[in-house]
Amino acid sequence: MARSRAPRWRLPLLIGCIALLAAIAVWVVYLDRVVTREFQGRHWSVPARVFAAPLELYVGAPVAADDLEEELRRLHYRSGDPSAGPGVYRRHGGAFDLQARRVRFIDELREPTRVSIRAGSDSITDLRHADGTELPVFRLDPPVVGSVFPIHGEDRLVLSPADVPPLLRSGIKLIEDRRFDEHHGVDAYGVLRALWANLRARRVVQGGSTLTQQLVKNYFLSDEQTFGRKATEAVMALRLEAHFSKEEILVAYLNEVYLGQDGARAIHGFGLGSEYYFAKPLAELDVGELALLIGLVKGPSFYDPRRHADRASARRNLVLQEFADAHLIDSTAAKRAAASSLGLRPPGGSYVPAYLDLVRRHLKRDYAEADLAAAGLAVYTSLDPRAQAAAERALAVNLKRLDAASRVRGASLEGAVIVAEPNSGDVVAVVGGRDVGTDSFNRALDARRPIGSLVKPAVYLTALETGRYNAATLIEDAPIELKLADGSIWAPQNYEHQVYGRVPMARALAESMNLATVRLGLDLGLPQVADTLQSLGLETRPALNPSLLLGTVEMTPLEVVQVYTSLANGGFRARLRAVRAVLDEHGRPLKSFKVQVEAAAPPAAVYQLDRMLTLVTTRGTGHDAAARLPRGTVVAGKTGTSSDTRDSWFAGFTGSYVAVAWVGYDDNRATGLTGAAGALPVWADTLAHLKSASFQPVPPELVEDRWIGFGDGLETTPACSADAVSIAVPRGTVLPGKPDCTAASSGHAAAPTGTVTDKVKAWFNTLIH
Amino acid sequence: MVQHPHSLTRLALAFAAAAVLLSGCPAPAPRPSLPSPPVPSPPATGASPSGRPPPSAPAPAPRPPAPVRENHLSPATRSLVAQAHTLLARGDIDAASSTLDRALHIEPNNPLLWIELGRLRLVESDAHQAEGCGRRALALASGDPATQRQARRLLADALRAQQRNQEAREVESQADIIQP
Repeated sequence: MARSRAPRWRLPLLIGCIALLAAIAVWVVYLDRVVTREFQGRHWSVPARVFAAPLELYVGAPVAADDLEEELRRLHYRSGDPSAGPGVYRRHGGAFDLQARRVRFIDELREPTRVSIRAGSDSITDLRHADGTELPVFRLDPPVVGSVFPIHGEDRLVLSPADVPPLLRSGIKLIEDRRFDEHHGVDAYGVLRALWANLRARRVVQGGSTLTQQLVKNYFLSDEQTFGRKATEAVMALRLEAHFSKEEILVAYLNEVYLGQDGARAIHGFGLGSEYYFAKPLAELDVGELALLIGLVKGPSFYDPRRHADRASARRNLVLQEFADAHLIDSTAAKRAAASSLGLRPPGGSYVPAYLDLVRRHLKRDYAEADLAAAGLAVYTSLDPRAQAAAERALAVNLKRLDAASRVRGASLEGAVIVAEPNSGDVVAVVGGRDVGTDSFNRALDARRPIGSLVKPAVYLTALETGRYNAATLIEDAPIELKLADGSIWAPQNYEHQVYGRVPMARALAESMNLATVRLGLDLGLPQVADTLQSLGLETRPALNPSLLLGTVEMTPLEVVQVYTSLANGGFRARLRAVRAVLDEHGRPLKSFKVQVEAAAPPAAVYQLDRMLTLVTTRGTGHDAAARLPRGTVVAGKTGTSSDTRDSWFAGFTGSYVAVAWVGYDDNRATGLTGAAGALPVWADTLAHLKSASFQPVPPELVEDRWIGFGDGLETTPACSADAVSIAVPRGTVLPGKPDCTAASSGHAAAPTGTVTDKVKAWFNTLIH
Repeated sequence: MVQHPHSLTRLALAFAAAAVLLSGCPAPAPRPSLPSPPVPSPPATGASPSGRPPPSAPAPAPRPPAPVRENHLSPATRSLVAQAHTLLARGDIDAASSTLDRALHIEPNNPLLWIELGRLRLVESDAHQAEGCGRRALALASGDPATQRQARRLLADALRAQQRNQEAREVESQADIIQP
């Protein structure tokens, strides 16, 4: 009876079972496919890493012993025995012995190298290989300054099997998956053990997941905790083990694992973890540091060593104890490591969002955002961390001081600074505002403001180029009224509402006279002035209103730097460059951005103008600069103030750098600050920190130096006139002389000789006498 | 990713140019038997890369004042230039260019380095940039006739590479007449 009833339910059950098995088989095969296909062609999402320019060392390089040590510390070299390994230096007074790390530059991969360096109180005095032979030039590691990771994106540094230290290999297995080498992806004992431990503790104290399961979870699956997902994870783990070696799985795990969060940036893998927490390559971590990283795997946010140092320390010590119990290290080493500090690198510091913003914009012309975020590119930039730090500090200190002195309450001044090397066009520092740590409004690149008198050098250069004017030519500073196209009357005034009459061009520029400049510019023609601005590097043609001559044209600090680079560069336009080269993930060059120079203006005219611009900083509106720079440093520059003092500017150059500073309010209200009061101190303090050489251009053969009276423009000598200034004029120019003063019978034999510095010194002497 | 379709052509060009550059290298080969000169000697061959012999200049033009400057490379930049030549001889133009970049950062106002860079730009078939380098070098070589000659030669080559032969001839004739 029972028999006769059986077929009635057995058949559907059988069919159901077969269908279920078939479905499971299909599912397993599908998961197998997914695992093999995706893991085989695994491609870590590696954001582009951005490097600053390496510090070049050579005999005479302006790097003092203390600077060198500071730089080594910035690169996280530690003091010790340099024969012990890379990343270690020893200092005795000015003598350094160091073992440089293995490092990739744009043009070479350098293996660890030992060098001996001697540094004095202001420069490098000797440089040698370890064997004592001379080394002409040596560069330190290019510092990493960030990565171009996507919003809410993963950041990582991929390790190859050879990069994994043995203690990490055995330690991670010990702490996370003891039976890793035996199981086939899922560890039944481990699950039971975890279950038992959890039951005893009545909470989850252990997870039974193997490393393989954790990898599968992170790599293939979402974060939800359902039975179905657990089953999928187990099957995938088994299939992964069936197809790939333990070694491949372990290394993949070490690259995938999540180790912390830095704002929007997720820290993945031990390679980046080591750099993020300790600023050292993994190979240089000591036992305690490695134990901390391994301990973090359990809960990167719970054990976050920056926020919960006590928890992190306890976790590290537990891991060290386990290491010792398993004889991975001896117990004295464990005790010593447990007694040491966590060794974290100081937070922040090298993060430079404003500069990275410029890098990103330059790269966007050539690369898709997705490639930058994932393709593992290495981006070598021109950033000089020392210049960046100097500019950030100069802006912060001065804005604080200016805010305190300001009568405007409830609003903070803002500012921007850009520093570049004029010859190469390399941008070495970008400060986009007083809050340097955030990706906020980047005023250096995006604040487009009227440039005020920064435009005037273009007017005077136009004049010099005609050959009809020189620095001594008298021009008329007198009231002028113009009827504009819209019928209104434009009547510009000087800043102090004074009228100066006939003045030499050099003085009109140095003292930034509006009336004289407008008259000169109208005489030359607005289109001609606009042409000059464009050939100097302004990309969009300015509107041809007469007010162009007083700087109603709006420019960003970056555009101003481009224009002033041509003046700093003797009339050659060097295209500004933030990125020097991009290498692919294997270190092969993908693209290099070369130094680009083009003739922008006649060198002789630019030389004459530049000499006039040095008078701005000695006799004119920019004379406060001298007090902030090392004594005797020659600089050239120009103040700029837009109408109602809404914008305070200073742009100028030394022998090594061209820089621009801007100070103003974001809502465009009046600051009450001239260019000299607001931006100039920021500019001068930045350059004062950079040990910048004096501006000493090579004099073109077509010009010669002469002395004139600053007030009357008549040729004179320093002995004869207290206000004698040195200018450059075309060779053989006839200048009217001061009666009884021309030492020269031949007209121009009184030309002073020597460098610009000598002349400035001579001028200082005339003041003293 | 980015491939250089003309890598072979570039390689060949590189070898050719390296030969030219090495012959005109301002860093002298070590000659232990000779007393070392105070400054690296200018190119002794005078071989114009354009192939034409420099016309002799018997011009009794008014002599400019004695040279006030003599440009030479520092030990650091000299070693980098030598390194760039080695890289170029190997055909690694990008690395050679980056190496000259380094030198330029150390001595940005040295016209000899701009001449090196301009020669490299010619190898890269970037005559426009070679011209820029030539003009920059010429401006910086003010007062140094030997370096000016080298700069003018570079400039003339760069102009000729842009089919601006008339300008090239003018630059060359300046080199021969104005300078002693």
